[in-house]
Amino acid sequence: MMTEKKATTKKAPSKKEDTKKVAPVKQEVKKAAAPAATKAAPAAAPAKAVSTTPEGESRIGVFICHCGTNIAGSMDIEAVQEASKKIPHVAYVDNYKYMCSMPGQTVINKAVHEHKLTGVVVAACTPRLHEPTFRTATKDSGLNPFRFEMANIRDQNSWVHMHDREGSTDKAIDAIKIAVAKAALLQDLHPKSVPVEKAAMVVGAGVAGMQAALDLNAAGIKTYLIESDMSIGGRMSQLDKTFPTLDCSQCILTPKMVDVGRAENIELMTWSEVHEVEGYIGNFDVTIRKKARGVMTPKEAEAKGIVGGGCNGCGDCENVCPVVKPNEFEIGMKPRKAIYINHPQVVPLIYTIDFNSCVKCGLCVTACGPEKRAIDLEMKDEFIKVKVGTVILATGYDIFPIENKQEWGYKRYENVITSLEFERLICASGPTGGHLVRPSDGETPKRVAFVLCAGSRDNTGIGKPYCSRFCCMYSLKHAHQIIEKIPGCVPYLFYMDIRSFGKMYEEFYYRIQDEGAKFIRGRVANILEDPKTKNLHVYTDDTLLNRPIDVEVDLVVLAAAIQPKADTNRTRKLFGVSCSMDGWLLEAHPKLNPCGTTTAGVFLAGACQGPKDIPDTVASAEGAASAASIPIHMGAVELEPYFAMCIEEKCAGCGMCVNLCPYSALALVEKNGRQVMQVTEAKCKGCGTCGGFCPGGAIWMQHFTTPQICAQIDAFLLGGEQ
Amino acid sequence: MSESESNFKFAFYLGCIAPNRYPGCESAAIKTCKKLGIELLPLKGASCCPAPGAFGSIDLNVWYAMAARNLVLAEQMKMDIALLCNGCYKSIWEVNHKLKHNQDLRDGVNEVLKEIDMEYKGTINVYHIAELLYNPKYVGPEKVRDSITNPLTGARIAVHYGCHLTKPHKDREFEDEVMLNTEHPVWMEDLVAALGATPVEYRNKMQCCGAGGGVRGYDLVHSLDITNEKLINLKEVGVDALTDICPFCQLQFDRGQIEIQEKFGVSYNLPVLHYCELLGLAQGMSPQELGLDLHGISCEPFLQKVL
Repeated sequence: MMTEKKATTKKAPSKKEDTKKVAPVKQEVKKAAAPAATKAAPAAAPAKAVSTTPEGESRIGVFICHCGTNIAGSMDIEAVQEASKKIPHVAYVDNYKYMCSMPGQTVINKAVHEHKLTGVVVAACTPRLHEPTFRTATKDSGLNPFRFEMANIRDQNSWVHMHDREGSTDKAIDAIKIAVAKAALLQDLHPKSVPVEKAAMVVGAGVAGMQAALDLNAAGIKTYLIESDMSIGGRMSQLDKTFPTLDCSQCILTPKMVDVGRAENIELMTWSEVHEVEGYIGNFDVTIRKKARGVMTPKEAEAKGIVGGGCNGCGDCENVCPVVKPNEFEIGMKPRKAIYINHPQVVPLIYTIDFNSCVKCGLCVTACGPEKRAIDLEMKDEFIKVKVGTVILATGYDIFPIENKQEWGYKRYENVITSLEFERLICASGPTGGHLVRPSDGETPKRVAFVLCAGSRDNTGIGKPYCSRFCCMYSLKHAHQIIEKIPGCVPYLFYMDIRSFGKMYEEFYYRIQDEGAKFIRGRVANILEDPKTKNLHVYTDDTLLNRPIDVEVDLVVLAAAIQPKADTNRTRKLFGVSCSMDGWLLEAHPKLNPCGTTTAGVFLAGACQGPKDIPDTVASAEGAASAASIPIHMGAVELEPYFAMCIEEKCAGCGMCVNLCPYSALALVEKNGRQVMQVTEAKCKGCGTCGGFCPGGAIWMQHFTTPQICAQIDAFLLGGEQ
Repeated sequence: MSESESNFKFAFYLGCIAPNRYPGCESAAIKTCKKLGIELLPLKGASCCPAPGAFGSIDLNVWYAMAARNLVLAEQMKMDIALLCNGCYKSIWEVNHKLKHNQDLRDGVNEVLKEIDMEYKGTINVYHIAELLYNPKYVGPEKVRDSITNPLTGARIAVHYGCHLTKPHKDREFEDEVMLNTEHPVWMEDLVAALGATPVEYRNKMQCCGAGGGVRGYDLVHSLDITNEKLINLKEVGVDALTDICPFCQLQFDRGQIEIQEKFGVSYNLPVLHYCELLGLAQGMSPQELGLDLHGISCEPFLQKVL
């Protein structure tokens, strides 16, 4: 008997979205990625009353997909079809070349109507790919979408048993038996709708985080922009020029930085980091650790009653501070004080105290004066709780510790530097005012070697196996800068390939060749230092000349590999985001969903997902912002209805399940004079821990009920129902 | 200083060049190790390892079989092997490692050994004496320092690591992972410092001496060209002596300097000593005990500095 269609008013369908719930603090998401098609439904329909027997006779339709030759090439579809007809509860069997296609779905629709089916089984690929597709088809044919079960006869069958036709066929028949046994017992379920907080969070304020925050701000969404450094700007602030346009990096970035600083909807929190995360999409409770800066903003000073006070960036404090430390922004090549700013264009323009080196002499307090009174040496870290609907991670990259590739002598030879150090040296606002000098003697180099793929494309186990994407382009840029700034200085680029993949990149490569840069195709095997002159001898196999060569240079620049920023691992775990084998954060799908993650409501922007140049970073940030704004605009999201339920008649109120729940979703409540368990559905992930444990069998796991699982086991072991 | 108890016993594999050309290395090794708690016992009947470059280039099966025979002699003594030559290390250690992990190879070798009533069983391990001296499990730089009576103060000594102890990297395993470093190891410099001397770095210290791989035998002049490059780099930084852990490298540098004088017309007069000889000196052994007068290049200038 068919279940009645529920008449509902629907909003316009939103973009397909991953609504997997987020694990709370310190827990990983337990379920594998299964992007569920959802639409933002209006009022939540309550779960139907629990019943242990389906209404009336079960009539299951089995639809076998060929998947082209993916499945049909390995097994005998005819035999599978014939065997399926004999399975109990099966009322109709059909097969089609591509079940996921429009005609394929029409097959389902027709069959449901003509044969009055009560449930649908599709034997095809993996639910991770097409469960949403077929759930929708089931729904469109008039059944509740959760009356659908999928048998994976491709990824776990035809693809791995390509040379065992008989075995593959038998295994498929078993898979269908198991799926049918469950389908016969499936019930109508209704996704729960939860409201979405009208706020977003962006973690990381490099160009990716800044762009995402600006887009969210423009869409009218309140955005918390969290940055662990004392200023926004990230790596772009450290660069001199950007390829291929040769724009000054900080010059094109500063307008964006200023915009972020004065955007109405952006609450900027620098010198802060994410401390704790609880909740799920639409309802993230994030605790932010606002590290003690030691210096108050005008707003903070006013809150303390100091009218007209707070830091105005004058720098009087810096002048008197006695502590000198290496400036991390300048990669240790320039000094800073214990109270400092990274560079003159920081946003916000507020000084920061490095309490690890501050000696609390108080000279800065005196210099700041009685009117501003901006310095508070006793300031402590503050913890601030905010609630947001969606989160974007934009945590960026670090340079790989290239001293680990000992053959190139970084940190052993003075005149071997990294590309980021080169950027600071060649930058007019850098430690040498833009004069490229040799670290050993301060002389201007006449011959500079660039070692490309330093630590990248390396499968020795020491470096990174991947390509770091932008080093070819910036090495070309560096060669250009040398030719332009130091007449007579020759750049030698030691390369494997020149990857000039982007818009106007190949043209830039022609230009640098024409300008006179020297290109030698060969990986640098070894670098030796002349102990007297501190010159470097670069040894490689020139593969175009077909002989080994030794090139003596004054300075070597290593185009070092990049890796995720150091704190990324801690941060991603708080949000339940995985990382891929190469260490970068894992996207929901590498081709079709590069900005999403398998955790609903959490998105990725910029290099944290994988090496990117600036255009790709900005594009991914805009993509992430768009995706993150959708649940907020729709106002609500649907959660999949796999919740646990308490069968109150059977519940003894022992409370043992409450402590077992990893998501703190269960509680004991008083009902009709006795204690029974109650589930907070929005927190429940349907993991089954409580259901598997309950000694009284009082917990019902929706869509994975005990009768369903037992029926599946029986179908496999005994060939049918018991 | 009293002699320590012998905590460790090894079958001492001598190789060819040490006993025949630099017998001081042999006596130094036995006496210094004894002082450091390692007893080196004679491995009777051992043959050439066989020289890995020369034999390996011509017939690998011969190489495996001859090395296996030497291993079986130690198995029969029920003792691990200790040796003081990189080339021997490659033969003895690498063949032992390969036979332990490859049944087909073992079967093939045992077929041959059957003819002389021997069977390789894979029951013992192989160590280079430098490895034993560096690893605190056996000795370690601290104990080396404590054992010396005549610190080589003021002596600038450079290290030649040689090739076959640590390379090929993928075919090597050591108890102490520090020894896996092939690009820029510094552990021998620690052992030189333990003798009170000043270790000196020089350009391209990891370069081959030129002798191995059958090159010295096949093409002497080219092998000397390689040696000469190292000597130039050593001269550049100015050292009192060069130390090595391989008698073949020692031969190449020592006799090689005489040959370079004859063929290229350039002299370096750089004393070359095996680390065991240096250790012996520092522990108070006399130059005669160490056979230093048998060296090609006179060690006199160096001895005047340290004695």
